[in-house]
Amino acid sequence: MTGLFHRLGPQGLRVLALLAVILLLLAFFASQIDGYFNARLFSRISGSVAIMALIATAQTLVILTRNIDLSIGSIVGFTAFAAGNLVSTNPEMSALVLVLFCCCFGACFGAVNGLIVAYGRVPSIIVTLATMAIFRSLLVEYSDGKSITTNTLPAWLTEFPNLPVFTVFGLEFRAAFVAALTVVFVVHLALTRLRPMRQFFAVGSNPEAAEMAGIDARRVVFSAFVLSGALAGLAGLMFLARFGNITVVAGLGFELKSVAAAVVGGVNIFGGSGTVIGALLGAVLVDVIDTSLVRWAIVSEFWREAVLGALILLSVTTDTLFTRRLVAWRAARAHARREATLNQEARP
Amino acid sequence: MSAIPTLALRAVSKSFGMTVALADMTLELFPGTVHAIVGENGAGKSTMIKIMTGIYQPSSGQVEIDGAPVVLSGSKAARLRGVAAIYQEPMVFPDLDVTENIFISATDAGLILDRRSMRRRAEALIDRIGMTLDVDREARGLTLAEQQAVEIARALSQDVRVLIMDEPTASLSAHEAAELRRIARSLAASGVAVVYISHRLEEVFEIADRVTVIRDGRHISTRPVAEVTPQGMIADMVGRAVGNYFTKMPSVARDEVILSVRGLTRAGVFEDISFDLHRGEVLCMAGLIGARRTDVALSLFGVHAATAGEVRYKGQVVRMTSPAQAIALGIAYVSEDRRKLGLAMPLPIRSNISLATLAQYLSPLGLIDRRRERDTAMAYRERLNIRAPDVDMAVGVLSGGNQQKVMLAKWLAMKPDLLIVDEPTRGIDVGAKAEVHDLIRAFVRDGGTALVISSDLPEVLALGDRILVMREGRQMGIIDSARATQEGIMAVATGQSEAA
Repeated sequence: MTGLFHRLGPQGLRVLALLAVILLLLAFFASQIDGYFNARLFSRISGSVAIMALIATAQTLVILTRNIDLSIGSIVGFTAFAAGNLVSTNPEMSALVLVLFCCCFGACFGAVNGLIVAYGRVPSIIVTLATMAIFRSLLVEYSDGKSITTNTLPAWLTEFPNLPVFTVFGLEFRAAFVAALTVVFVVHLALTRLRPMRQFFAVGSNPEAAEMAGIDARRVVFSAFVLSGALAGLAGLMFLARFGNITVVAGLGFELKSVAAAVVGGVNIFGGSGTVIGALLGAVLVDVIDTSLVRWAIVSEFWREAVLGALILLSVTTDTLFTRRLVAWRAARAHARREATLNQEARP
Repeated sequence: MSAIPTLALRAVSKSFGMTVALADMTLELFPGTVHAIVGENGAGKSTMIKIMTGIYQPSSGQVEIDGAPVVLSGSKAARLRGVAAIYQEPMVFPDLDVTENIFISATDAGLILDRRSMRRRAEALIDRIGMTLDVDREARGLTLAEQQAVEIARALSQDVRVLIMDEPTASLSAHEAAELRRIARSLAASGVAVVYISHRLEEVFEIADRVTVIRDGRHISTRPVAEVTPQGMIADMVGRAVGNYFTKMPSVARDEVILSVRGLTRAGVFEDISFDLHRGEVLCMAGLIGARRTDVALSLFGVHAATAGEVRYKGQVVRMTSPAQAIALGIAYVSEDRRKLGLAMPLPIRSNISLATLAQYLSPLGLIDRRRERDTAMAYRERLNIRAPDVDMAVGVLSGGNQQKVMLAKWLAMKPDLLIVDEPTRGIDVGAKAEVHDLIRAFVRDGGTALVISSDLPEVLALGDRILVMREGRQMGIIDSARATQEGIMAVATGQSEAA
């Protein structure tokens, strides 16, 4: 047990713990709700997670650098609307161009945030609180109060999310979910394997040391916001494809859901540690609860938010306690080991 | 010795506003040598390091590398030229593992991390400096010595040519410090120019090839270590041109013992501190950075409980466990850190002065009586000669000296029996210093008792009736200030001689 405990490290353990909690929750709801495991459960959750996973990943990139992006919902909404507008006037356009458009569109918003936070040295919570409102108002102005409706969109776009890709154990993996998983996996690889992206962790872990080590902390923070914006743009496209009907309130509330998913998934809100795999599982967990509570007669609709809130509190509190314990335990162990070597040296 | 220094400062000056931190500094660092730099606290050592590592730009003068003038536009530029520094408080990333900590700023490596080769190189580097360390563990929870090893390894990974070690051993145990000196020597043997900054003079004599003394931002002397004596070095460090610019006040100490401390110890921080403090006395605590004077004060004030020893306050044995308890007993502590622990900068002078005694200003309804608050603030402004047109001004806009006086007023308003003041005149001008001294003297004349921590030797001599000298958490002795000299205190504080 100790060996496994050591090998996995805190992040690996957390992923395991999250998986266990998700399975327990599924078992719990299955015992409470008749016919809980039906064909629609997986497709509903996976369809919704496809979007949540992207925004949770986007949020994670920013949180890792000790910042936060509250404008993420507005970016998703704006991109969804703009992409809908574009594709309904050019229904023959290539899917690749549309994807690139959405990434760049979102990245531009991210760049605005990043510029002000990194180079203007304004705290990100203030900057993005402001841009959340500003981007949303711009969207209202741009949309002129109109909505995008499904029937103006080309069929290839609205059908994409539900295309079956493969089936495992009777669970049908659809295109949107698979695409989102792929993106999360690519970001995960980049965060763990690419040298420039390891600097995200360094800057979030100890900004002063990062500066001293010759890391351009401002550029790192700026890049985090731009990448996060691009991912939010991608989420906007996914949102458009899934729902088809886009109004000016599209993506409202995503900022909090993305933070919740990331934090539940073990991303340290003070930066420096966390994985996007964790954030993905956090998104799944939040969504399982959200989707299941609707069907659980005992919990009234009004309490759903409170249950979610309690979950966030619970996970962050246990995380803090857990990390503190782990640090204390490791320090004690290292101390004991050092004492032992010193004693050995002291012996003739 | 080769003719071209690896790094040289040529007539480098650095000012911050009106303050000159470094004036006309010249320094040459040669490959393969350990070059020690010594000076009192505030002599300009940190500014010099920051210029060599590219964090500050000189106001005038030149930095040269291999004889050619360079502009080090930031720590990255300095690293690329092979200049690296490690500090007393190491700069590691707690969330990253040791391997990543070493290679996080590697600029010569490719885009994609090759975990396996990184691990291997990390192990080789840790091995080269003769440490044993698991390269896969997170840096969180490493000891200071291990963190420094990580930093040295980081510097080595980038072909370091000049390694600056700033007080590297100040927080290390004797065993760890010896280990670190061995590493420094072996780096020099491999051709690195090592800069070694230390307050421990015996350490300087052990490892340095050359010694530079700086004082008040100026270069005083650079000599081969063989030509230097401890006495000469100390004289160079303290011999200031200004002399004693404070007037010595007669002692008003009485017989009554207010505070009696016996064998006070906080494990791993300080040990065996014993002294008696009489009513009306000013006891100064002298010592260098890392002497742990502030920790003793914080223990007496109940911030960090002592682990052993006895404190008697007015004859009663007390165990201080919280500042609230200490304040209730009439003990006040004025912090050395005005910004962080002392003042609420955006608040007006009035609110700052009443902060520690707010309960006295409450009206029957439990609201703050602003008139009374204002009257008290005006009285203190008068008495302490705080130069501000109005007590409703924010404290943040005042000069350092006036801020210091507001902070003193806050604690004097409490009418304490025992006032502990930590570095009361740091960073304020000479005139304000004299005023602060007068305040403390007036306080003891009126029956108060003061414990003053100060690194300013002329101040210690002028203000203190007796001087308790500390060094590395130990009490080196108590000297009667009438018989003390700056050189004598410095010799004790650096471990060159025993207290008389």
